[in-house]
Amino acid sequence: MTDVTNKAAAETVLEVRDLHTCFDIEGESAWAVSGVSFDVHADEFLGIVGESGSGKSVTALSIMRLIPDPPGKIARGEIHFGGRDLLSLDYREMHKVRGREIAMIFQEPMTSLNPVFTIGMQVAETLRHHEEISAAEARARAVEVLTQVGIPDAAKRLDDYPHQFSGGMRQRVMIAMALICRPRILIADEPTTALDVTIQAQILDLMKELLASRRGSSVILITHDLAVVAETCQRVIVMYGGKTQEIADIEDLFDDPRHPYTRGLLDSIPTEQNKGKPLHAIPGNVPGILSFPAGCKYCTRCPEVIERCKIDGPPLVEVAPGHHVRCHLVEDQGAEGSP
Amino acid sequence: MSAYFLRRLLLLIPTFLGITMLVFTVTRFVPGGPIEQMVMKMQMSSTGGEGGSGSGDMATSVELPSAVLAELEKAYHFDKPIHQAYLLWLADLVTLNLGKSYKYNIPVHELIFSRFPVSIYFGLIGFTLAYLVCIPLGVLKAIRHGGVFDFASSATVFIGYSIPGWALGGILLVLFGGGSFWDLVPLGDFRSANWEELSTWGKVTDQLHHTLLPVLAYAVGSFATLTVLMKNSLMENLGQDYVRTAFAKGLPERRVIMLHALRNSLIPICTGLGHAISLIMAGSYLIEKVFNIDGIGYLGYTSIIERDYAVVMGILVINTFLILLGNILSDVLYVLVDPRIRFS
Amino acid sequence: MSADTRPLISVRDLKVHFPVYGGILRHQVGAVKAVDGVSFDLAPGKVLGLVGESGSGKTTVGRAIANLLRATSPDVHLEGTISLDTPSGVVDVNGLSRKAMMPHRSAVQMIFQDPYSSLNPRMTVQGLIQRPLDLHTDLTDAEKLDRVRALLGRVGLQPEYANRYPHEFSGGQRQRIGIARALATQPSLIIADEPVSALDVSVQAQVINLMLELKEEFSLAYLFVAHDLSVVYHISDRIAVMYLGNIVELGDADQVYRNARHPYSRALLSAVPVADPRHDTSGRIQLEGDIPTPMAKPSGCGFRTRCPIAREECSLDIPILTDCGEGHLVACPFHDEAFGVGATPAREGNQRDS
Repeated sequence: MTDVTNKAAAETVLEVRDLHTCFDIEGESAWAVSGVSFDVHADEFLGIVGESGSGKSVTALSIMRLIPDPPGKIARGEIHFGGRDLLSLDYREMHKVRGREIAMIFQEPMTSLNPVFTIGMQVAETLRHHEEISAAEARARAVEVLTQVGIPDAAKRLDDYPHQFSGGMRQRVMIAMALICRPRILIADEPTTALDVTIQAQILDLMKELLASRRGSSVILITHDLAVVAETCQRVIVMYGGKTQEIADIEDLFDDPRHPYTRGLLDSIPTEQNKGKPLHAIPGNVPGILSFPAGCKYCTRCPEVIERCKIDGPPLVEVAPGHHVRCHLVEDQGAEGSP
Repeated sequence: MSAYFLRRLLLLIPTFLGITMLVFTVTRFVPGGPIEQMVMKMQMSSTGGEGGSGSGDMATSVELPSAVLAELEKAYHFDKPIHQAYLLWLADLVTLNLGKSYKYNIPVHELIFSRFPVSIYFGLIGFTLAYLVCIPLGVLKAIRHGGVFDFASSATVFIGYSIPGWALGGILLVLFGGGSFWDLVPLGDFRSANWEELSTWGKVTDQLHHTLLPVLAYAVGSFATLTVLMKNSLMENLGQDYVRTAFAKGLPERRVIMLHALRNSLIPICTGLGHAISLIMAGSYLIEKVFNIDGIGYLGYTSIIERDYAVVMGILVINTFLILLGNILSDVLYVLVDPRIRFS
Repeated sequence: MSADTRPLISVRDLKVHFPVYGGILRHQVGAVKAVDGVSFDLAPGKVLGLVGESGSGKTTVGRAIANLLRATSPDVHLEGTISLDTPSGVVDVNGLSRKAMMPHRSAVQMIFQDPYSSLNPRMTVQGLIQRPLDLHTDLTDAEKLDRVRALLGRVGLQPEYANRYPHEFSGGQRQRIGIARALATQPSLIIADEPVSALDVSVQAQVINLMLELKEEFSLAYLFVAHDLSVVYHISDRIAVMYLGNIVELGDADQVYRNARHPYSRALLSAVPVADPRHDTSGRIQLEGDIPTPMAKPSGCGFRTRCPIAREECSLDIPILTDCGEGHLVACPFHDEAFGVGATPAREGNQRDS
């Protein structure tokens, strides 16, 4: 999947352009996302990696138009999907997109399901809302999709409540609920962060299998964990301070990380070679959402910072086919390009 | 789970014994008990039923025949030590015999059951009214949180909360009853004296006229707590992850709020229903007094003042049972409305 | 054992059972066997990593050693010994009363997972760090002030921060405050319960580095409880793998991490994602289902319900830890047997040179 011809041929299903989302925090505007642009291709497992305050989750919620307003607001930008700009749809049209064409699952499987309704009702509800379908048919489809995501005895468990399932099983139910209408895009926001590693492996494998079995669909995986990305994604977006810092194919990113932040993240992972030795830690702390610097968002922590970084923010530059970096140090090496 | 409820039911017994024992003991030691009252009554009747200021002087001169006194003491078990007396009272209770009211001279249970309907009538209507108003109001306030409507309704319910029900009753009566300002409703009583003679429609309107103000007075204090409980409960649930999930499924806002969030936020409201039975039946002395309604609250108050101990204990027994059963009912409701709750 | 290799802490057959009540008379109907017979030694100045999934009992072991269980669950049932080597001789601290524990409390300190909830929001940093000094030392106020400032400096915070409140700090800084508080009494053992898992990735490495430096400087021993195996391997001298209240494998970090023998350890290690897109996951041992509840443990080996090499004998006896060479202990009599594909989980992944 890494050769250039394949990439050029890849069909784009979703285009995010110049997305700006801000939150009103005690009268001040906190720009959680400021000028994010990227594409999602068909049949793609796309990762968005970042820490707290990077804007990765806000980007996802903006695509779903689930930003709580107030205090949040999508201030600017376009999100093209299926020939429309999602940001200009009215509420009713957006309701038809959510859950049917773009679905989303969340970090906390324990609290993301409604505790007082059976899982059968909750899974079938998505379908009944979007399609003209009888209750019995919807139940049958729910059994089918629950079986597909690996719930044993799905037919018997339809009338169970969420608390009767373990964390891993609940996340499977969430996935079933998201996939029952066969959406083109599944956004998974830290889907395995709350789960144990053995369960995480199960869920990630399940998502990979499901993607492979449904032609034309894509997954956007949002995570803080580079190892999870390495394991699942074909392309990665690294975010910091509400901006995309580096976009690359997974192998390019790990082989040739060009942004100092990406390098910092990769270097800080413990390896077998440096056991017991000091890790290459990124200095400083992630600034609060109101205190990111002007200029390059990373300039306060960057070991390679130059004067220019503090004054103006670098543009996103294509340094190799499909490899985009937002850093003054690489700016001269490539022409400015759209993502 | 049945073990849990069985245990709760069994725990009723010691709680019940403790409460009745305490009150029973108090009644034995408070001066002015039924014997003294009886003596006074007899003295009054012996002097031609003329009470008033003179009766005190006469009291010393009239002796109760010792045989009558002994009989009285026996009837009240005053001739026995307190623990035996309590056990005897308890034995009577087990056979559902609550004793006799010395004031009305009829069995206590008859007396209490004759007053219950009136209190239940006002209690139930007030209670239903409170829920009918507060739930929609709370929901609306949650949806418009921070707006003008939210603010204005909060101000209103809290003014209501700060006014005692009987005081509001009095004000309303002055304004709308009788005729000093508007003559819209009668001054009190449960029904008009000529109720039996009215047509069906007349009976209904007469009853409504008599109901309106007392019910308002009964319910006004519960509006604020219930409304704010409803609002906060819904607000809290609107911030939950599963609400975001419901939106992500593409459900319209109406369904997300009215089905997903509301169903969860009604849980604390529902479980409050159990505690409400005792409130419904307890009546309120002061409101009943203001509106001249012969309910259980009024009966309880007068029986304490007049040391009609059989009635006092009778009302206590019934109220205690209602409160304790209400607690258990709340737990049952919890299990019914919240699938996560399984007591063990 | 000679005096200089005497373990700082020696745990023998530790059991922590939380009784479960039910029935009409609320009698005990069962027990959550959170820890069910755990033994290990920890030498002074060394790090033992304790790994396992949620429900494995790893956190409870840490709390038992810090003697914090009675405070939160007074009816906990404790068995076994936790021998702590103190200047006044070896003391069994298992289940000691609050008062009896007091003289030894300063020797064992804890660092918690959540830096947001483990610091009292109403106390200044000065107050937070000084508190253990008030309890365990008779320093003057001026000395305490100096000590707090020195500690703050040591964990990489400006001493001027002493008068601020916890909410003014980021997660990483709060964890540094938590570390300074733990260091205040000059402990010989720190129990670190998931100390970096709530932190941002870019901050985790700082805290790990700090902990390694402090270990050298103050000859600290750590019981490092965590689920992130690469972090545990990085910091630990020895690693114990727990499953359902038992240690299933215990050995040097390299023995366990590079040459795991127990089928559960292998599965756990193979499930850990590797930050290398070319890493081959085909040898991954996929475990079926979830960890059973510690209230209804399977008979015999606790892992047999999910074990890919389980057989009938496994339901009979609880396997005991047995040396499979060079002090590498494994609680599985069939650990020699191959798994089919990927007999040894590949760990070649994490080889990015930094």
